[in-house]
Amino acid sequence: MSWLRRIFGRKRLYSELSEEIRVHLDEEVEELVASGMKREEAEHAARQEFGNVMLTEENARETWRWPWLENFLIDIRYALRTLRKSPGFTAIAIFTLALGIGVNTAIFSVVDLLALRLPPIERPDRVATLAYQEVRGGHGNGFSYPDYAEIRSQSTAVFSEVAGTTSFERDGLSAGGNNEPIWADYVTDNFFRTMGVGPALGTLIKPVVGDRFHDEPVLVLSYSYWKAHFGGDPGVIGKLVLINGHPVTVIGVAQKGFHGIRELVDTQCYLPLGMAAVTGDLKKDFRTNPESIGLGLTVVARLKPGVTLASAQPVLTAVAHRIAKQLPADSEWRNMVAYALGPLSPVSDPSILNAVALVSVLFLTLAGLVLILACLNIANLLLVRAAGRQREMALRAAVGGGRGRLIRQLLTESLLLALLGGAGGIALGLLASRSIGLVKLAVSIPFALNFQFDWRVFAYGFGAALVTALIVGIAPALRATRGSVNDLLHEGGRTVAAAHQRTRSILVVAQVGGSLMLLIVAGLFVRSLESAERSPLGFEPKHVLNFTIDPRQAGYDEVRARDFLKSLLSRVRSLPGVGSASLAETVPMGGTHLGMDLKIEGRRPPAGQRPPSAGYNVVSSQYFETMRIPLLEGRGFLDSDGRASPSVAVINRAMAKEYWPGENPIGRHFSSTDDPKHPIEVVGVAGNSRGRVDFWRRVGPFLLVPLSQNYDYRMPITLQVRSSLSAAAVEREVVGTVHSLSPTMPVMDIQTMTAEMHNINSFQLFQIGAELASSLGILGFVLALVGVYGVVSYGASQRTHEIGIRMALGAQPENVLRMVLRQGVFIVGAGLAAGILAAAAIAQLVGDFLYGVSPVDPLTYLSASILLATIALLACYIPARRAMRVDPAMALRNE
Amino acid sequence: MPKRKEEPRDLFPGALEMMVLEILRRRPLHGYALAQHIRERSDELLRVEEGSLYPALQRLLKAELVTAEWGVSASGRRVRIYRLTAKGAKHLEREVSKFEQMLEGITRVLAPAKS
Repeated sequence: MSWLRRIFGRKRLYSELSEEIRVHLDEEVEELVASGMKREEAEHAARQEFGNVMLTEENARETWRWPWLENFLIDIRYALRTLRKSPGFTAIAIFTLALGIGVNTAIFSVVDLLALRLPPIERPDRVATLAYQEVRGGHGNGFSYPDYAEIRSQSTAVFSEVAGTTSFERDGLSAGGNNEPIWADYVTDNFFRTMGVGPALGTLIKPVVGDRFHDEPVLVLSYSYWKAHFGGDPGVIGKLVLINGHPVTVIGVAQKGFHGIRELVDTQCYLPLGMAAVTGDLKKDFRTNPESIGLGLTVVARLKPGVTLASAQPVLTAVAHRIAKQLPADSEWRNMVAYALGPLSPVSDPSILNAVALVSVLFLTLAGLVLILACLNIANLLLVRAAGRQREMALRAAVGGGRGRLIRQLLTESLLLALLGGAGGIALGLLASRSIGLVKLAVSIPFALNFQFDWRVFAYGFGAALVTALIVGIAPALRATRGSVNDLLHEGGRTVAAAHQRTRSILVVAQVGGSLMLLIVAGLFVRSLESAERSPLGFEPKHVLNFTIDPRQAGYDEVRARDFLKSLLSRVRSLPGVGSASLAETVPMGGTHLGMDLKIEGRRPPAGQRPPSAGYNVVSSQYFETMRIPLLEGRGFLDSDGRASPSVAVINRAMAKEYWPGENPIGRHFSSTDDPKHPIEVVGVAGNSRGRVDFWRRVGPFLLVPLSQNYDYRMPITLQVRSSLSAAAVEREVVGTVHSLSPTMPVMDIQTMTAEMHNINSFQLFQIGAELASSLGILGFVLALVGVYGVVSYGASQRTHEIGIRMALGAQPENVLRMVLRQGVFIVGAGLAAGILAAAAIAQLVGDFLYGVSPVDPLTYLSASILLATIALLACYIPARRAMRVDPAMALRNE
Repeated sequence: MPKRKEEPRDLFPGALEMMVLEILRRRPLHGYALAQHIRERSDELLRVEEGSLYPALQRLLKAELVTAEWGVSASGRRVRIYRLTAKGAKHLEREVSKFEQMLEGITRVLAPAKS
């Protein structure tokens, strides 16, 4: 840090130097006096010999200076003084930039969270997650336990650890009498070691020795859950709690910040994989039976030192081929791939990756555009100031300031503005992203949306500010320093101003264009949301209230669960004001979707093609009444459709058309490929209804099977109640009924069907997109208006002299109005043309996210253009009117 | 902006520094003693303005070729005594050999003109 000492210790250096020189002179004088000279003469001679003391000191001091830094400090001091002198300009500039940079910081912090941040584990870049590709083009990341075991034992050459975890599921945690839902991962013994995660408290699930299957009744809590639900009490270790009614011991708390391998969602506790068989009451042992763990295991692996994803690939391919030989032919694996773990790792569908990346790019582009619009405004303001300061600059140049030095000084000014704006912007952006984090996502899954102020967000905001300073500062600085003293001191500065006017007009054309483009994109998103909300659903969501119940969480076994649901349904149906009530495993637009591959009687799928498939739901009687889905043919479900009677199904019209074209499907049979010997008879055809937010597709084949024949008590079930009473009243009655039957039964996710439709799985995404795009559009719009108004009114004020002369020579006020407006019309017209072209280009990028509206939708383009043109021309009209009222005498006297 | 003034230097830039380093190589001295040394040894041939010694010393200090410490001179004054550093010794060696090369070059070029 010697340079620091040099800067701050300079005063001491200088005084030492002075003293040294003084001593030198003393010594010399004394020597001369000793040799017989008079003191006065000696002093004179010594000085003569020494030379100019002041100059010597100055020269010696200069050695220690840092001209670049010192000039910079001088520039900053000067810039601060200049900015303070025009507080209005400074405030507007900083505020505009803060808005522009704030928008960017906010959007970037979302992108950072969704796409860039790595999980808080040891060397996250060394951890991969595996997916398989099927011969017929399918892919997935749910592995069976035998597959996992095979991968773990065969890939030791490239992976130091291979761990597996079940997909996130909701269990009931009962501690001290309360039963609460908790989101759990069941993990293999080496999970925490693979992740490189340590305990915050107690111990974690440890690797077991040998081949023993790990099914100790132990539980590890996540840090945040422990803080929130146990108050951070260290006494929780060793505590006995119940998971779905089964006793387990809390052995530890995982390290702070670790929330499982899925980004964005918060895993609240971890249990040994073997415990899944106990708390989930699995009948078949999943060590040997591949089908018994629902969605399968997510496999994560840590690369050995020196191994990359690419160099691990041949080993994975070899393992995949070996596993493929043991699999049934119709799901034959082609290959296995490893992806880097992180927010962008494809959970099951690699196209999600592209969608996230595309949305990120899209919104960053739009936000970047807003910042550019803000920059253009400031550049305009600075150009005006540059015109005013040309004399000052010319004079400073005349007294010896080099041009480079002057430009540097002006750039320091814009840099200072940008940094102040940037600081405000980063603060605004964080505030905005905090509020995004608080948006209720209308789902029960605990989200881990922690927008942190990490270095990436800071670097982005800071970088944006620096780029801004350059964009904003360069042109005005070059301008201001160009004129020669001679020209300037002689002319009134009018011709130079005219040249400025041209540059500024071009800037404003760009602004109008950019703002129109933002408006059009916003319009497209809004229209897309509208058409999504207006599209026919095929069911009636109004007046339906949903309740999720999971008897397993209360420790019920299958028989008790069945009895409970049966009596619950009949009690609820008899409540006053209840029209109908039914149970379903999934709800439309919900987070869960079921599907099965089918074997259709009398149809043989062509070889090499995927078997026919359909989505399905398991529902009770009265489902069609509750959801108001019309039954077109046949019948719905009856109480007589029991476990002993033949299996039945109601199919939708799309399925009838697809698999029994031109025939009557009633009475025909099909079966699931998982259970081909068990025929299911079609007893009814229902109208098509939408199950998920895929408005851009036709409704696909879908079927419903009765709960009485297909109840899987390990699945949570949703009670749907149609009632004309208020939601609050129905909720009170139904929850009361549940608790009167079973006081510990958790009732979760209580919401109206309409609210359910606006959760993150359905319309909420469209809504967020539309809101985000609209706010960007409005911001850009305001910035453009300010720009147009500024340039036209400044242009008019510069021409006051000319207008005065014209009017003195007999021009009518209307002529003046026309003259000033002409400039505005030109700017707006050129801007609109540019904006429409730009919008059409960016709309191609947006196209994939639009529903029911074309990326070049004429109505949107036209209405946005008209809106912008009208308001922008109005902004021109105000200065034009002012110009029209110019008093020629006053205008000429002003010169 | 104060412009850097060319201080009156003897011969060529760096010569004074070289001489200072050479004198300090033999023993540590303070400013006035250094000036005396230079004057005594070269009086007839070189004229060194004593004042230019101090900027030169500051440059050497900054380049860490010499160090300075407050001490007491032979005449009992509190003075700054300069001492050659290892880096300074190396630098001196290099400079001297460069200078000798240059001198030889100049001599060779001048030689035929003399004859």
